[in-house]
Amino acid sequence: MNLSALARSPYASVVYVAVAWLVLVPLFSISPRYLPPLGTVIADARSVWPDLVAGFWRTLVETVLGFVAGTILGVGFGIAFAYSRLLERALFPIFVALQTVPVIAFGAIVVIWFGNTIMAKVVIALYLAFFPVAVNTLRGLELADPQRIALMRSFGASRLQLFLKLSLPTALPNILIGMKLAVALSIAGAVVGEWFGDTVGLGVMLLQALYFEQIPRVWVLIIACGLLGTLLYGVLAILERRYVWWRPD
Amino acid sequence: MSDPQADASRSAPLPHLQMVNVWKRFGEGERQTVAVRNVDLSIAPGEFVTLIGPSGCGKSTLFSMIAGLLPPDADGSVLLGGKVQQDGQLLGKVSFMPQKDLLFPWRTVLDNATLALEVEGMPKNKARARAEALFPEFGLKGFERHYPHQLSGGMRQRVALMRTFLFERDLILLDEPFGALDALTRAMMQRWLLDIWAKHRRTVLFITHDIDEAIFLGDKVVVMTARPGTVKCEERITLPRPRDGDIVTTPEFTSIKRKLLAIVEEESMKTFAAAS
Repeated sequence: MNLSALARSPYASVVYVAVAWLVLVPLFSISPRYLPPLGTVIADARSVWPDLVAGFWRTLVETVLGFVAGTILGVGFGIAFAYSRLLERALFPIFVALQTVPVIAFGAIVVIWFGNTIMAKVVIALYLAFFPVAVNTLRGLELADPQRIALMRSFGASRLQLFLKLSLPTALPNILIGMKLAVALSIAGAVVGEWFGDTVGLGVMLLQALYFEQIPRVWVLIIACGLLGTLLYGVLAILERRYVWWRPD
Repeated sequence: MSDPQADASRSAPLPHLQMVNVWKRFGEGERQTVAVRNVDLSIAPGEFVTLIGPSGCGKSTLFSMIAGLLPPDADGSVLLGGKVQQDGQLLGKVSFMPQKDLLFPWRTVLDNATLALEVEGMPKNKARARAEALFPEFGLKGFERHYPHQLSGGMRQRVALMRTFLFERDLILLDEPFGALDALTRAMMQRWLLDIWAKHRRTVLFITHDIDEAIFLGDKVVVMTARPGTVKCEERITLPRPRDGDIVTTPEFTSIKRKLLAIVEEESMKTFAAAS
């Protein structure tokens, strides 16, 4: 890779932000209350390194479990809605209403049901991840081209064959869009879930940092959450580029 | 018009496809529109029949009925191999190629070609082997692993034709397959299609709105009227085969063309008058 390609790579932007942070804070003498110097944030991260790694790992597990469960459920409901108008009419408005309920209110109920277990966090992450996947699956399945459906029928295709060979591949790019939205929401769900009480996790550390006004710690956790999200999004992007590269035409 | 049933029993080869008094109406009462009326058509085994008519004359509706995608109204019937076909029975019996190539972008060229065979339940390896054998003949050798978006329009159309051919049914329906191609590619594809047809001898019904194409390809040209469409006349083309590109400049060709042009133009004028 030559220098100009390196300068334009996504990794380079991390360096740009770091340099800006290093230069701008002393240059404009920004108060540490608004933005502490990068060095202070790094030092703070090192001081809690074992907790940070454990918290990162825990939140990652909660997020991934919630995300995977939410995706499976979302794809399932999306397919069910696409093939049953009745089910769509009966359940879709309920799902929309549920989505408007603040996650904090819903989270309280989940914690009452499941206690302060990892299950509670997974369920909250699932609750947030599920909806965008379901909506995008439904939309994607509706994109199946009527002319291609006619062609498949003229070959004598069964309903199952139509679904597997035409509708599902047509919907996959849209399902991926739903999954990308869901991944960010799963992180939010897991972090909020941890706020209801736990001892390990990025959300727990974030709540403590806010409580004790540890500003550098808050920035450490913002960066950690950002890393977690970027990591999961990156995995999805790689999967998409490899397996779901086509676009519905 | 004589009774087609009696015709069928008298003339030696049973018509492969027969349409008897086929109608298709959409809607009810006042707002009813007739798309196709009183169509009688018969196609002999191995015959290449071309169908022309003004746009919007119900050609595509007629095609959908032959492919089994749309049931004809109760007053008429479609017979395949002498047997009346009930609603939906024609599905899977006719190999049908719509106007657009309709290739699946997520499948390679090879897997697009085998689509119909897969639907029929043929094992993947066997289907692929059968398709691969046709690649040189269809001018697609070396493109097996390409994806549709990497091909030119003419090549995509050949992939779609291969998919249609591999779905081995005696009757092939082609709905303006070359309509979207440029004139040069189109002329090449026509000659190539005739070669393929001469080799495989399937029965073909080919829709077009290009009179030259209809005469050049067909054993018989069927002209449809303006909407509501019905068969206006049939013209048997006795030009010798194999036909090459030069034939379009012969006096025989020109005289057939002049005759058909007059008929088609008369019908097109009706469509035009009805619209304005």
